[in-house]
Amino acid sequence: MTRPSEDDLVTGDFVRSYVITGGRRLPSPTDLSLHTLVTLAPDRELPRQASPEVRAIWDICGGGYLSVAEVAAHLGLPTAVARLLLTDLAEQGHLLRRAAPPAAQAVDRGTLEEVLHGLHTLFG
Amino acid sequence: MTSLLQDPLLWILLVVFGAAVAAVTRARRTNMALRVQKDALQRDLGAEKAERGELRAELTAFEHRHRDELSEVRQEAEEETKSVLKAAMRTLQVLADEQQLIIDRTQKSYGDDPHVVADLMEIDHANSQFNRRAQGIAVLCGGWLGRREHPASVYDVTRSAQGRIRHFDRVEINAQVNVTVVSKAVEPLAVVLAELLANATNYSAPEMPVVVSIQSVPNGVCLIVDDYGVGMSQEEKDRAAALLSPQGPVDLVALGNPPKFGFAVSGVLAARYGFRISVDTPSPYGGVRAVILLPEDLLTAETPAPAAVGGARGAAPDERPAREPRGLAPAVPAAVPTAPTRPVGTTAGGLPKRRRVAAAQAPARTPLPGQDQPEQHDSPAGTSSETTASRLGAFARGTARGRDTTTSEGSEEQ
Repeated sequence: MTRPSEDDLVTGDFVRSYVITGGRRLPSPTDLSLHTLVTLAPDRELPRQASPEVRAIWDICGGGYLSVAEVAAHLGLPTAVARLLLTDLAEQGHLLRRAAPPAAQAVDRGTLEEVLHGLHTLFG
Repeated sequence: MTSLLQDPLLWILLVVFGAAVAAVTRARRTNMALRVQKDALQRDLGAEKAERGELRAELTAFEHRHRDELSEVRQEAEEETKSVLKAAMRTLQVLADEQQLIIDRTQKSYGDDPHVVADLMEIDHANSQFNRRAQGIAVLCGGWLGRREHPASVYDVTRSAQGRIRHFDRVEINAQVNVTVVSKAVEPLAVVLAELLANATNYSAPEMPVVVSIQSVPNGVCLIVDDYGVGMSQEEKDRAAALLSPQGPVDLVALGNPPKFGFAVSGVLAARYGFRISVDTPSPYGGVRAVILLPEDLLTAETPAPAAVGGARGAAPDERPAREPRGLAPAVPAAVPTAPTRPVGTTAGGLPKRRRVAAAQAPARTPLPGQDQPEQHDSPAGTSSETTASRLGAFARGTARGRDTTTSEGSEEQ
């Protein structure tokens, strides 16, 4: 074993996630799912006692819609923790949300053929 | 005359006189003998006394030597015990550190499940307390804590300290200034503050908060820990003051059983890194007020504190490096935009990196690499990729909006 010294690096996140949440219950993922899009509501002031994490959310969400997963990744936090912070902001009215775009639906073959036929007649 | 000679009284007198003379002579002789004997005895006594004195001096010398040797042996034994303990604690510290990394990783992998994350937080909390104990013993044994790679804001140091005690949810932080602590002092300050917070929470009522106030003073920064407990007696204060400014190595045995490490650990670290701790002022709330004075030379301007006005930026880039040591972090400050962004490569974690572009431009969400080709034919060379991204972004948003029939932007304010 190498001789322990002052120069040994301590790794690991410095501020632990349970301190960031304040030991509060984490919200269920149904409300803000991974691909829910969030952005800051216009003309909002950053709360005075905002934690560094909330400030970071303020920065990264200020420019347009980002998914919950992206916000969490940028913060370097577990999604559930980022979700709690986002839920707080949403409850205070600072956040706009959009549901994730629904998956494309299968259109029936007949319609597609009609469209194709129409295009053929127009440009063909 | 004859009659006189024949007087029996005369003879009696003579006999008596003779007897008296004999008696006196014998008494004098005895007296002389006794005197001689007394002198001899007194001489003997003097000699004995001198010998006794010598013996006593010798005994004292022996006792002193014995005591010195005993304390030397004890000190040696303690040194040896300490070096063994230090090595043992080192392995525990390394293991706790490893476990923390594993917890970090697992929390991120299963981050979407609140139950898993909550359980992992409990493990993490226990692990942090475990590590604090190991660090404390290591420090008392002359060991080191290890160094953080980056400076950290005093607010984050306080939160890190908060995470290392059992009742972390009772701690309230009241930061009036936010300055940055040099990297070498980050871990020691967190450990000291954690010990003071542990004392404060353990010796006050379970429902009462413990308040940490961070204040700027002329020659540095003060961290003030106030509790609502019953305070300390003068004896306890004296003991604490002695432990907080140690004059030499700490005597482990004197810490009691079960040992009270807090002040001793704080004192050793304060002496080693040059900050001052006092517990002699009463708290306005009635309990103990512990004050850490962090001198200016342990503060740095390396990562400026976020400005209060219009300074939402800055906080995040400041904090990230200290919190996120594994590759993602260095990318984040650059990737924290105020304006819309678009991906420029990926981070170590495989996530798209975003670069800030002009604010007027819409955010380009997840363009597919394959779709770049046809777009580039009619784009000017210099701006082609950004135009492409913008168009694709517009396309993606358009399709998303088109498919989303139930909502419209702006109506969903929560």
